[in-house]
Amino acid sequence: MLDEQTVELNLPSKLGYERVAIGGLAAFAKSVGFSSPRIEDLKTSVAEACINAMQHGNKGKPDARVLVTSKFQDDVLWISVFDEGTGLKAKLKDPDIERIIENLDPPVGFGVFLMKRLMDKVEFDRTSNHLHEVRMMMKLKG
Amino acid sequence: MNQRPNEIKIESHGDILLLDIRGDVTAFSEPSLNSAYNSSKESSPKKILLQFEETSYINSGGIAVLIQVLAQTRRNNQKIGITGLSDHFKKVFNMVGITKFATIYPNQQDALKAMSSIS
Repeated sequence: MLDEQTVELNLPSKLGYERVAIGGLAAFAKSVGFSSPRIEDLKTSVAEACINAMQHGNKGKPDARVLVTSKFQDDVLWISVFDEGTGLKAKLKDPDIERIIENLDPPVGFGVFLMKRLMDKVEFDRTSNHLHEVRMMMKLKG
Repeated sequence: MNQRPNEIKIESHGDILLLDIRGDVTAFSEPSLNSAYNSSKESSPKKILLQFEETSYINSGGIAVLIQVLAQTRRNNQKIGITGLSDHFKKVFNMVGITKFATIYPNQQDALKAMSSIS
């Protein structure tokens, strides 16, 4: 159930609209007391989760949507990003910039890598109502 | 939502070529960044300073484009400096390892001074 501490954004699955999500969630995080550096971490993580949902989850389908929900409860901000895909098929390895520079690996994987480092917790491959969910958490304190 | 193409001004400062990159840095930046880098090859610079705007939005697509430019500069034995980043993106660039291949400077003046002394 939606309440005063919950927000929802329903986005077109088109690159660029992640900026609508980061603007909305940055304002929400500020309103509940997060510091500017943490809000910057949140903005990058939300952007990357939305980009992955658009590119990999919804695979560029023009009529697909990306749903972003956020709830602040007990000093913890939870963010879920839903797409219409089936999730990660295999565990992604962290990008190795030295191999990428040498043209041995493709320049991919930075989004998930950053989400895992900038948020306090990230869960992949959750499903809910036939949607794939990435769930992220950031603590107000600590 | 469409992204406006980046405006990139190219200036020579002694033996340093400055690419002043205006606008957000995303996958859509690939044509303008590659075009600016390719046109810089005419003067065969040994040192390149990439100047970003502190307020720019940078995402993983932009980071991938930037790393591809860094790969080219490495093959061409060029020294790379980066400036104009917010504290957040300094941290992000360090996390992904860009700082192994480029030096981040606090501002353009410090960058030009420090890079001019590199032989």
